[in-house]
Amino acid sequence: MATLHIVRQSAFASNDLAQCISSLCRKDTVALIDDGCYNMQHSLIKSIDSKMDIQLHVLAKHAQARALAINETEFSKMNMENLVELTFSHDRVITWQ
Amino acid sequence: MKKLAVLITSPPCSNLSVTALDYIETALKTGIELVGVFFYQDGVLHANKQVVIASDEFQAVNHWKTLQQTYQLPLFLCVTAAEKRGLSDEQPENINAIFTVAGLGELVELTNKADRLVQF
Amino acid sequence: MTNLSIKEKSIKEKSVIEKPIIEKEKTLAIINSKAPYSNIAGKDALDIALIFASFEQAPALFFQGDGVWQLIADQNGSLISVKDYLKTFAAFEFYDIEDIYVCQESLNARNLSASFHIEKVQMLSKQAFAQQLATYNSILRF
Repeated sequence: MATLHIVRQSAFASNDLAQCISSLCRKDTVALIDDGCYNMQHSLIKSIDSKMDIQLHVLAKHAQARALAINETEFSKMNMENLVELTFSHDRVITWQ
Repeated sequence: MKKLAVLITSPPCSNLSVTALDYIETALKTGIELVGVFFYQDGVLHANKQVVIASDEFQAVNHWKTLQQTYQLPLFLCVTAAEKRGLSDEQPENINAIFTVAGLGELVELTNKADRLVQF
Repeated sequence: MTNLSIKEKSIKEKSVIEKPIIEKEKTLAIINSKAPYSNIAGKDALDIALIFASFEQAPALFFQGDGVWQLIADQNGSLISVKDYLKTFAAFEFYDIEDIYVCQESLNARNLSASFHIEKVQMLSKQAFAQQLATYNSILRF
């Protein structure tokens, strides 16, 4: 019964990530795409309780376009096919934009 | 077969629409059935024939045309949102013919037909 | 009257659909995240809520972040030439929109008490809000 959260905006500029994080349930997935990729460096991401068991994914092409390195110990690299797969492997999708 | 409905609220000049189209194209290529795309808020601008994007930039409408032709992808334009932005079905010459002008009720239909509803 | 014109409009939009809905009905939640006037997101969200409700699929409404401002009492959009769509919230019961949730943390961050212009708003802690949200098939956010 997990939720896929697609985050498209930078937490350095908007509240979307904060609201997303406060809406997480255990075992949900957060997918960073578009400007959401900037959040890899944001303290809010690090504030997610590890007991929540949240999967963190980042769309590699979007991060690369923005010259953002992906720390693969924290984030799984994904492509668009993976995002489509995640859509159906989760019960619902919330877009934070 | 997995069914998907997509709600588009980003305008054609935004890179957010490039992502939306990439997602939709990928879903179709991987065999997902797109029951329809519903355009709302600034998303209705995708249907505006008067929109001119510089020729060396991403042409969203060309992608919609290809998807509609290749997959018969239904594209629904919210009439109320369109009117607010200068697109009226009383001047259909301004609306790209690949879009079907519809009421919000169509979004209800699409939501019920699909296994997942995603907003871009 | 605002209520009538919205209802008329929803009947008009509903009549465009001729075939009956035979597919399984999904439950919908709408998250309101924007303050009421400068952004039309709230009105756009309301239009969607009412159309689903008119098809007897009333969505649950969630208010989070600046969305909670849409609920506070004594607002008056007419002072700033805004057609006050907030008044239509009074029609929620008529439309069977009964599941209305507000994020307690968002209220606290804005120093707001539970003084709303509509009744039956349920205040939820962060965890309860997240859990409640996860009970719906589809979620839209405006």
